[in-house]
Amino acid sequence: MRRRPGISGLQTAAATRDQYRSLGENVAKIRTDLMMEQLSIFRSQLEEFARKHKNDIRKSPAFRAQFHSMCAKIGVDPLASNKGFWAELLGIGDFYYELGVQIVNVCLSTRPHNGGLIDLEELRGLLSKQRRSSRDPITDDDCLRAISKLKALGSGFEVFSVGNRKLVRSVPTELNKDHNQILEIAQARGYVTSEEVQVSLMWHSGRVIDTLETLMKEGLAMVDDGHPDGIRRFWFPCVGSTSGAVEAGSELSS
Amino acid sequence: MEGAWGRILHPLQLTDSGRPQLFPGEVECQLLDGIDLELEGQQQQQQQLQPLRSGVLTLTTHRLLWVDEPHQRSGASVPLAAVCRVYPPKKSIKAIFASPRIRIQVWYASDGRISAVGADRSVVLTLVCRGQANIDSFLGRLEQVLQSKAWETDKASAPGSSSVILPPNSSRLPGAAASNSHASHSKWNPAMAGVSGILRKEQEQWEEADKNLQDAFHDLNALMAKAKDMVVLAEKIRSKLLGGSGGQSMVDEEEPGSKQEMQDWLLSVGITSPVTKESAGALYHQQLSRQLADFVKVPLQRSGGMLAMVDAYCLFNRARGTELISPEDLLQACSIWEKLDVPFRMRKFDSGVLVIQSKEDSDGQVFAKLVILIKTPEALKVGISASDAARAFGMAPALAKEYLLTAENQGCFLLKGYYAGMMEQMVFVSLQTCLKILW
Repeated sequence: MRRRPGISGLQTAAATRDQYRSLGENVAKIRTDLMMEQLSIFRSQLEEFARKHKNDIRKSPAFRAQFHSMCAKIGVDPLASNKGFWAELLGIGDFYYELGVQIVNVCLSTRPHNGGLIDLEELRGLLSKQRRSSRDPITDDDCLRAISKLKALGSGFEVFSVGNRKLVRSVPTELNKDHNQILEIAQARGYVTSEEVQVSLMWHSGRVIDTLETLMKEGLAMVDDGHPDGIRRFWFPCVGSTSGAVEAGSELSS
Repeated sequence: MEGAWGRILHPLQLTDSGRPQLFPGEVECQLLDGIDLELEGQQQQQQQLQPLRSGVLTLTTHRLLWVDEPHQRSGASVPLAAVCRVYPPKKSIKAIFASPRIRIQVWYASDGRISAVGADRSVVLTLVCRGQANIDSFLGRLEQVLQSKAWETDKASAPGSSSVILPPNSSRLPGAAASNSHASHSKWNPAMAGVSGILRKEQEQWEEADKNLQDAFHDLNALMAKAKDMVVLAEKIRSKLLGGSGGQSMVDEEEPGSKQEMQDWLLSVGITSPVTKESAGALYHQQLSRQLADFVKVPLQRSGGMLAMVDAYCLFNRARGTELISPEDLLQACSIWEKLDVPFRMRKFDSGVLVIQSKEDSDGQVFAKLVILIKTPEALKVGISASDAARAFGMAPALAKEYLLTAENQGCFLLKGYYAGMMEQMVFVSLQTCLKILW
């Protein structure tokens, strides 16, 4: 471009620059739209292939590796078996095993928010979102059946009822650090109430109740319903009495 | 692999659990058990080679790998590129009574090492199959792999020739597209000059990518043929839509949570060559066990030395993609660890909970810490309870109780009894204190 002197020259240069910029933005916009479109085609096709050609894909190790890497990059769950007649009737086939893996996956990925305790309904919702390609909807019964297949892996992963809700617990007591946090709170006065815990740790009520009940079963907490205000207190006789040992212990571990 | 064989065969790196380490892009196809490796003819006499005895042979897309079976500590490899001919076992009456022998003719270079480049002479390697392996399916696989020549396509794609179907990088200025390698080797064309030319070219590339996509998903065979291109395209889409700065992520607007979802997936598939019943045959559980040992190291570290079996089941299966294993297979793989030299073990708590634990965080270490804890002045008076130990070590009370009870069984210290009227509140005191009370 030839350089022109004066203010008009500068203005022209600025205008040209603007034009290029808007053109560039347009191109970028179109490009992104196109890419979104390709992404959705890619996704739906991969999902369909994962469902239809599962056995063929497994026959060729080299192609299987490529297929997995496509699925991983595009965000498609390669586990997409349909329930089918036999699975429904006898519980055989891959369907319930695949569902089991997906259930644990959801539990693992939501664990930072809920401490390993999830409402069955919420779990089912997240699963259906993940399995959007699959035609048959997932029922609570499917989830329960899939979880029962995991029994061989030891206890600790279980479904239990609180009121009329069903909760799934994915952290075994032996690995649950929630208990320690409640013990910390209890240290101040020797007891806690469930509201207190709920407020100070920002947990939902199911998690609090479950943790306190486990502590009771473990023999660490005692229930006190006799207070005039009618609020149940959980006493922890273990904390406080041997505080010297605890302090020494924390020095030790630090 | 040392000695004369080391001069002929290529070296092979093994993982901690004794499985061969594969190249990026290399995929395991089949395993054979009980394979002897021999060299035929003069070479053998010249070099005074003892045959390599009963190892595990692995066929991958790039190499033949031989690993010493009982120890799984040394191995060697033969690049498939050097293979010039495969002779199946002879079918004669005599051969019925002997172990089947697969003879493979390979090129070797003047320094005596098997090699595809600069080779002018050939030698015959013999695989003596002493196991009950399925020779026919192995030969079929070998033929397939030799035909597909995966090692060649890998080399070809290295300098960037796979960019054919790709649009230019969007982060560049439009003008920079002209310097793209794709453009530089095509003939200069006036219609392609200037801004409109760039746009037109871009459009063409998009159309091509679109067409590729449609062709590839026409049927399974088409997808197999175009798999490599599709992987590249997937990567490209991924990095464009999700990888860059937050401002570009258009995905979020349409589908909330979708970006998060895809990032979750990135972590998931990690094992390119999952051990399967089909590929490993009789070696299935043993090889699965080794693969699990290699895999579990990272998640175990992340979770602080103890991993619930259910979590391990999910993570391992996610890493294996479509090749699910059953809970029973996982347990069997873990139980084989005792026989293999791996730094992990399966542990069952009294409550029925199963975990994987690294051997380094053994009970002994925890006991030693407990003994120190129990000797503090306060604890000498009243003892320690599970919750004291839990808070001191930052572990769950239930786990601390488990450790205290085990330690008591081993005689580190004694269970003093139930404390302050609580049903299950146990207090532990050191042996020393007990002796003092008794005497």
